[in-house]
Amino acid sequence: MFGRSAALLVRELTTDDHHLRRFNYDLFDKVISEIQEHFQQVTTIMEKMQGENEDGQISSADENYNGALIHHQSILRNKRCLLAYMYHRANRLQRLRWQLGAVLPEDVKELLHPSEKEFVKSYSEALSSYMTKLDIDLAVDITPPKDPYIQVRVLNNIGEVLLGDQSTSLVRNSIHFVKRSEAETLISQGLLEEFTG
Amino acid sequence: MANYYDIQDILMQDEVARGSVVDLPLWLAQDLVQRQILHIKLPSCFNARVRKEVQADPACVDLHSKCPFYYEMGCKLVELSVDPTLGPFLLTTLQGRYKDLLCKALTATLSGNLKFLPHLTEEETRLFEAGRDSVKAFKKWRLQGPRIEKAAILGRKRNRDATPIWS
Repeated sequence: MFGRSAALLVRELTTDDHHLRRFNYDLFDKVISEIQEHFQQVTTIMEKMQGENEDGQISSADENYNGALIHHQSILRNKRCLLAYMYHRANRLQRLRWQLGAVLPEDVKELLHPSEKEFVKSYSEALSSYMTKLDIDLAVDITPPKDPYIQVRVLNNIGEVLLGDQSTSLVRNSIHFVKRSEAETLISQGLLEEFTG
Repeated sequence: MANYYDIQDILMQDEVARGSVVDLPLWLAQDLVQRQILHIKLPSCFNARVRKEVQADPACVDLHSKCPFYYEMGCKLVELSVDPTLGPFLLTTLQGRYKDLLCKALTATLSGNLKFLPHLTEEETRLFEAGRDSVKAFKKWRLQGPRIEKAAILGRKRNRDATPIWS
């Protein structure tokens, strides 16, 4: 009550900058039910105050006024915390789309709320349609390249992958000389590693 | 509008303004003061004793235990309360600590200099970490380390030191 659970929710966001935690359904629903409680309290107090005054006016001198004010402020505070929680998670998901490409890894997907999954899907679609219209892949070359080609070492067995015009078989610990733009997404996903020799 | 979603702002306002007859979190007190229902008495972390401590040696004072959001809370209180000396006091405190903070941030090794870190407020810790990260990035650039790397979110199971491409 009075914004304490909401504060816990927001505190979760500060714990780990790089990792997304599981959506906290329990705490989120708890804050929403607290908002409803506060709202109930406000309406009862308002009715009481209107009932006591004959012409139905509410004066700020009334002793219950401050109580109603506190409940009202708590509702606003809870709302702010909930919105901030969703907003920051959505931001992290956007960043992930740029880093990892169109497909999210399974273990990240299971941490998301269904509405977040919707968000990721629509954002991804919007971004892809924009990039195809421009005919450029914007997620590539985030750091300015020194060289169009790069040497990479394969970390896991991926099998046959279409790199450029040829399909290459990526066996663990093999070293390839590939175009930087294609290697970039794979490195970001953790499948390859830059070979600095 | 930018402040509405700002996490640091939200958490800072949760700190209780102790010293008033009733202890209230700042978000509640702020509104009530604007409606002139109550007055804020400055919390104990800004009182005369602390100010003397800071005047003596700003760099050594443990501000984190007094209030982790010392500066931000002070700034909000400057608007709400009647004390005109609070603003300049905050400025001089930060000035005193900043130079020391910056030097340590840019020269810190992994192990040393950890004693004074818990004394820093949230804002100062962020400055410190920004300094440390920029030194790390510079060293990496100097040694021409790998420029594309695995995204940090995937690093849970193994390499916790993987830095993101950008954060």
